[in-house]
Amino acid sequence: MSPEPVHAIPGKARKSARGTARSFVLPFLSRHVSVVLLLLVLMAEAGVGVFVMRDLFKTYATVQNMYGGSVQGLRGIGEMQYQAQETRRSTLYALTTSDGNLQVEYADQSREADRLVKKGIAEYVAQARGDRQIAVGRRLANDWHTYLRVRDEVLGLILEGSTKEGVELDLTSGVPLFERVRQDLEEMKRLYDEEASQQLAAVAQSSRRSMTKLVAVLGFALLFGSIAIWAIQKSKIRAAVEFAKLQMEFVASVSHGLRTPITAILTAGENVRDGLVRGKHDLFEQGSIITAQASQLMDLVDQVLLFSASAKTSPTHPIQELQISEIIDHALQSTRGLIQQAGFTLHTEIEPDLPPVFADLQLLSQCLQNLIVNAVKYGDRDRWIGVAARLDQSTREIQIDVQDHGFGINQADAAHIFEPFYRSPQVVAERIHGTGLGLSIAKRSAEAFGGRLSVETQAGVGSVFSLHLPVERIEKAKSLSVARIGSEA
Amino acid sequence: MGLQTRTRTSLIILVLLLDLSSGRSLQAAPGAPDTRVKLHGTLAIVVNRSNPINNLSFKELRKIFLGERNHWPNGHRIAIAMLDYGQPERQTILRLVYRMQEDQYQDHLLKGMFRGEVFVAPKTLDSPRILRKFIFNAPGGIGYLRATDVDESIKVVRIDGLLPQDKAYALQIDEEAEE
Repeated sequence: MSPEPVHAIPGKARKSARGTARSFVLPFLSRHVSVVLLLLVLMAEAGVGVFVMRDLFKTYATVQNMYGGSVQGLRGIGEMQYQAQETRRSTLYALTTSDGNLQVEYADQSREADRLVKKGIAEYVAQARGDRQIAVGRRLANDWHTYLRVRDEVLGLILEGSTKEGVELDLTSGVPLFERVRQDLEEMKRLYDEEASQQLAAVAQSSRRSMTKLVAVLGFALLFGSIAIWAIQKSKIRAAVEFAKLQMEFVASVSHGLRTPITAILTAGENVRDGLVRGKHDLFEQGSIITAQASQLMDLVDQVLLFSASAKTSPTHPIQELQISEIIDHALQSTRGLIQQAGFTLHTEIEPDLPPVFADLQLLSQCLQNLIVNAVKYGDRDRWIGVAARLDQSTREIQIDVQDHGFGINQADAAHIFEPFYRSPQVVAERIHGTGLGLSIAKRSAEAFGGRLSVETQAGVGSVFSLHLPVERIEKAKSLSVARIGSEA
Repeated sequence: MGLQTRTRTSLIILVLLLDLSSGRSLQAAPGAPDTRVKLHGTLAIVVNRSNPINNLSFKELRKIFLGERNHWPNGHRIAIAMLDYGQPERQTILRLVYRMQEDQYQDHLLKGMFRGEVFVAPKTLDSPRILRKFIFNAPGGIGYLRATDVDESIKVVRIDGLLPQDKAYALQIDEEAEE
């Protein structure tokens, strides 16, 4: 065994089987991008919808304000016009009678109406918007004040008995002054009409803007939605094509894997049949070829069957409490011959007092075996394999590393190595035989117990494949198992 | 001793209850001058607030009411306001200012207008409220009201330098005589 410790590879690429599950879908990334695009379109649509709704509410509020303002304003002006007429009418009524009591009552009515006009003017000036409204409001206040002075004089003359002088004063001054007041009120009304027209135009413009936004967002939604759906469909087709391609490659690989040992067996059989084998040594040699090739055939069939079996969601073997060292020993025992035959040095480093694992020994052992076989297959450079186990306190996971100093995996391939049937172009070029199922079987085995596989690799340096088994899940599995055992008992 | 105290307390309460039932104010101590009661019994001569006149001699007042003076110094025509027939204020004015009975006053008015000595007949108004409003609206108006009916809208004129609350004020309403 080599004293070299198992360590992480500096500056390496790191992929986890769960993380790899994400990168596993790299070929289908465009589908995800499309879905994201679709979501973005929907979000944008919702956002613009909110804006459009806001615009509509704003328009509604403006219309309400406009209606309220116009109605209130026109009502106010109408009230002022009525009360101004009432002020004058009461004064004129006072002229028509010589009864002092009635004259006083009319004067009183005139003053009450005058008070309401003053109140209306004050309210108008307070609510006036724009210089023109303020100016006309002030002008009305001034004109009304001037008229009231004359009105007071007329009332005084009437009450003093100077009716004739009162009439003269009213005709010479009261009438023209009241006419100015009337014109001011008409001007006010006209300004209200103008303002209402402007507000109406603003509302119409706002409505048009909202409609344009709505049409634009619907157009964009249709366009981007179509693009997204098209992209999703395209990526689905591409994924199906790639899967079919992988299956074809798998069939070719399996055929090749079958044909090579069968050819060797056939040749050895023909040699024996044709009497080319002479002597015990030759016979042993041909027999060895036949058994070795048959064993290779058996392995290939086993891999295919195992892959098929690993697709099942639940473990087929009984779950039992296992020590980590027990699993590693089991895996190493099965692969020790291969390691020694290939001339590899093995270094193991197992942290003491690791919590036990409650799992299927065959499955976990198979998972590790596949990793070790891979390390032998692709770690030809230094012929060194490291197996280590430790408890990762930060993630509460038991981590079993299988490290090699082989030629590593480049970034592009690292994203696909856990995909079934995948074989990198480099491996194919190096004529390293395989089915492309080993790592996918290992990954499925790990996931059967809530674990995962990860890889840290760097081309030309080597790789570390790690099996992670979360402690909590192990304990949960244990409790479930205990419950199951109890119920079975 | 205790019995005497309780008897005295009961008597005091009885006296107080009798006092309340008679409508007299508890605030006014017996014998003290009641200003409000006094003002109610005096007649104020009132004019429009724009009138510059603040004081009139009784002689001038009489001339004005008799129609011998027609204009104020500011040029406004004098407009006399009288309360309706039979009211104590009117009776007091007739008695103290005109020094006439009602029929003599009517006769004086008729003759004065006929002779052209009186230009405008006094306005006869129904109530102190209307009279107050008349004075408020007419710059040349003059009239009379109980001092308690006067408010800020009109002005009280001194007569011989005296106001209704003054002791020697001449225009006192003789309620019993009027009744």
